[in-house]
Amino acid sequence: MTNYVMEARHLFKTYVEKKAKKTKEVGGDTCPTGKHIVDAVQDVSLQIRKGDIKLIFGPSGSGKSTFLRCMAMLETPDKGQIFLGDEELTKSGVDVNKARARIGFVFQHIYLFRHLTALGNVELALRQVLKLPKEEARKRALDALAEVKVSDCINRYPSQMSGGQAQRVGIARAIARNPDIILLDEPTSALDPELTGEVIDTLRDLAREGTTMLIVSHEMPFAREVAEEMIFYDEGKIVETGPPSQFFNAPNTDRAKRFMDRIINRTTRE
Amino acid sequence: MFEWLFNPIYQGMIIEGLIVTVEVTLFGVLLGLGLGTLLAIGDLYGNKPVKGAIAVYVEFFRGSPLLVQLFIAVYAIPTLLNFPIDHTVLAFLVFGLNSAGYQKGYMKGAMETIMGDQMQAGLSVGMSKAQTLRRVILPQAYRIVIPSWTNEFCSLTKSTSVLMLVGIQDLTGAGRSIIVSTMEVLPGYIFIAIIYLVWITSFSKIMDIIYEKKKIPGIELDMLS
Repeated sequence: MTNYVMEARHLFKTYVEKKAKKTKEVGGDTCPTGKHIVDAVQDVSLQIRKGDIKLIFGPSGSGKSTFLRCMAMLETPDKGQIFLGDEELTKSGVDVNKARARIGFVFQHIYLFRHLTALGNVELALRQVLKLPKEEARKRALDALAEVKVSDCINRYPSQMSGGQAQRVGIARAIARNPDIILLDEPTSALDPELTGEVIDTLRDLAREGTTMLIVSHEMPFAREVAEEMIFYDEGKIVETGPPSQFFNAPNTDRAKRFMDRIINRTTRE
Repeated sequence: MFEWLFNPIYQGMIIEGLIVTVEVTLFGVLLGLGLGTLLAIGDLYGNKPVKGAIAVYVEFFRGSPLLVQLFIAVYAIPTLLNFPIDHTVLAFLVFGLNSAGYQKGYMKGAMETIMGDQMQAGLSVGMSKAQTLRRVILPQAYRIVIPSWTNEFCSLTKSTSVLMLVGIQDLTGAGRSIIVSTMEVLPGYIFIAIIYLVWITSFSKIMDIIYEKKKIPGIELDMLS
């Protein structure tokens, strides 16, 4: 028996980034051509207990999203183990679809099902995955949509919603199955600044209810308020972990310090 | 000029011919849709041998004349198999298989625009790839593909006139037989053309209505561009 809701042990993932062939830039520079190997996850271990809220942050391109997608088994890690409760997801022969049903995932670019209304988006997995009867699926979907405060647009299609509404529907879709944990990949970074607030409010509500969450985000005020632990991630590795106070006051590592400086300066200047 | 139109024998021939044309078109376009969808899925998700086989299939049916395909099916295959097969059955199959070669392209194009993010979303809620295909990707792909499918229907309907060259009396064949005995060449062919026109136009209109009815904001043909 482990005490962890989810755990990553010595995870590795590299991927090959294909660069466009001979892209000529305006200045006359040429982009490097050919293949480029990205070490997105290099020996990363992480444990999450029930009710934990952990926040991963770091420079873009550092592999945070890849790590999160590996945790959800949306990408298969090259090496290492992922546990969901006692079950090892990285073992061969494990039904990863079943495992994913117990993990909620919120995408940066939202990814709602475009042919379904808000209600349909939340209902689909309840019907197809949990095999709930129609009535019960509808009730649970409506509850989830009410929880993220989008009850007024349940019959709208994704293209008819604002980014903030769509992302809250995305969150409703993730929480409706009562997953063991919710993984959120920069849930606000694709939204207009004035819309991030409503999504952050929703996340705050979830935090208050004790939802277990692993969030990739750069929303520092939010992090400070709800995260138990912040994880500074750079070049495929966890560089430093600690409570928000540590990062806001005096990070231990230079890299984290420089990064925090940049972020905080940017925030105060705005 | 049009007296022959009132002859019950000719009327019967035209109706029978029209039925053959309609049957073979609908059969062809539906078999083509089903098989084309499977080919598209195979091409997107299959391994190399599967993809290779699909490419050969598509190139054969798109790259050779329909009439040649019909001749092969009707005259060569029963001999090869040493087993008599009804010409009409073979001809129906050829139209379906031929149409699948084209429809695979339409379906694949539509699915490619949808696949990336929607597959991720489907997997993320715990659905399998197959479930996501069925519940998410295909419902969107079919909506996108309706206009191309209508075009495919129009062109297939007109191609059915080659049926008379393998001895199957379709609408054109019926018209030709009537003209041979009445010698009313121009009125005869004009009348036949009008029947095609009415049938194709009405079917296209129906498809337009279905397209409008099934249309969902955000899922439109311009996604393909």
